[in-house]
Amino acid sequence: MSMTINYPLDWFFISVLFFIGAYCMIVSRNIIRLLIGFEIISKSAMIAIIASGQHTNAINLAQSLIIIMILVEVVVIATGLALIVKFHNKYQTIDIKKLMNLKG
Amino acid sequence: MIIYVLIYLIIIGAAVLAVISKKLINSAIMLAVLSIGVSLLFFSYEAPWAGVFELSVCAGLITVIFISAVSLVKQDDEEFKEDRTKYKIFPLILMAFIIISSIFVPDYFMKLSGFAVYVNNSNESIGKFIWLYRGIDIIGQITILSASVFVIKHIFFRKSDTLEEK
Repeated sequence: MSMTINYPLDWFFISVLFFIGAYCMIVSRNIIRLLIGFEIISKSAMIAIIASGQHTNAINLAQSLIIIMILVEVVVIATGLALIVKFHNKYQTIDIKKLMNLKG
Repeated sequence: MIIYVLIYLIIIGAAVLAVISKKLINSAIMLAVLSIGVSLLFFSYEAPWAGVFELSVCAGLITVIFISAVSLVKQDDEEFKEDRTKYKIFPLILMAFIIISSIFVPDYFMKLSGFAVYVNNSNESIGKFIWLYRGIDIIGQITILSASVFVIKHIFFRKSDTLEEK
């Protein structure tokens, strides 16, 4: 391996990033902020995949996984934001608590 | 090793600013900064293809989608009276998780480095991985993309398009 990679250091920052995203998803009532938290969590997962790929000397396999993951993430974000815009056009709110009124 | 810590601090700072900022547009811009930091990390981990995809798609496309959605949705953040006091325990859970994992996890990481024997094929090119080993995933990607296109087409469906034809 060309450089010394300290994977426990990676693990520390990955867990901090995951908890920041989880905090954002748990606390906020704005639906767009939920998607922002989802984005932060998926970034931490990407860093975990790339760092473990570097650690096990299989970086190209990790890259091919990351490319697929980025595509899925873009699809999820685009569809979710389209649903949010449609929801806002109909009910004039993006509060997650107001979604409770939709149960039937 | 210093450069990794600096890039990680950029990433963590951008994530914290994205969570705590009042305006949604600032959150979207901080998300772009976070993506740029992640792509820098990928470049320094000798993963240039993943870095290029991250920089062009996550820092470019997703930011544009977020900013357009935020501008379409008229924001009134005063409406959200978020009670965050009961979530003050969350950083304590984070600290406990990190301390416990720093005790138990390094053994697992030592075992993980043993896997390098089995998957030591990093000399092969990225194109061979994408098209040969994971070529069947291309079908899944095309399916996901077309599904999202149909979903968005049906979300923004306008009745006047078909009524005028009748």
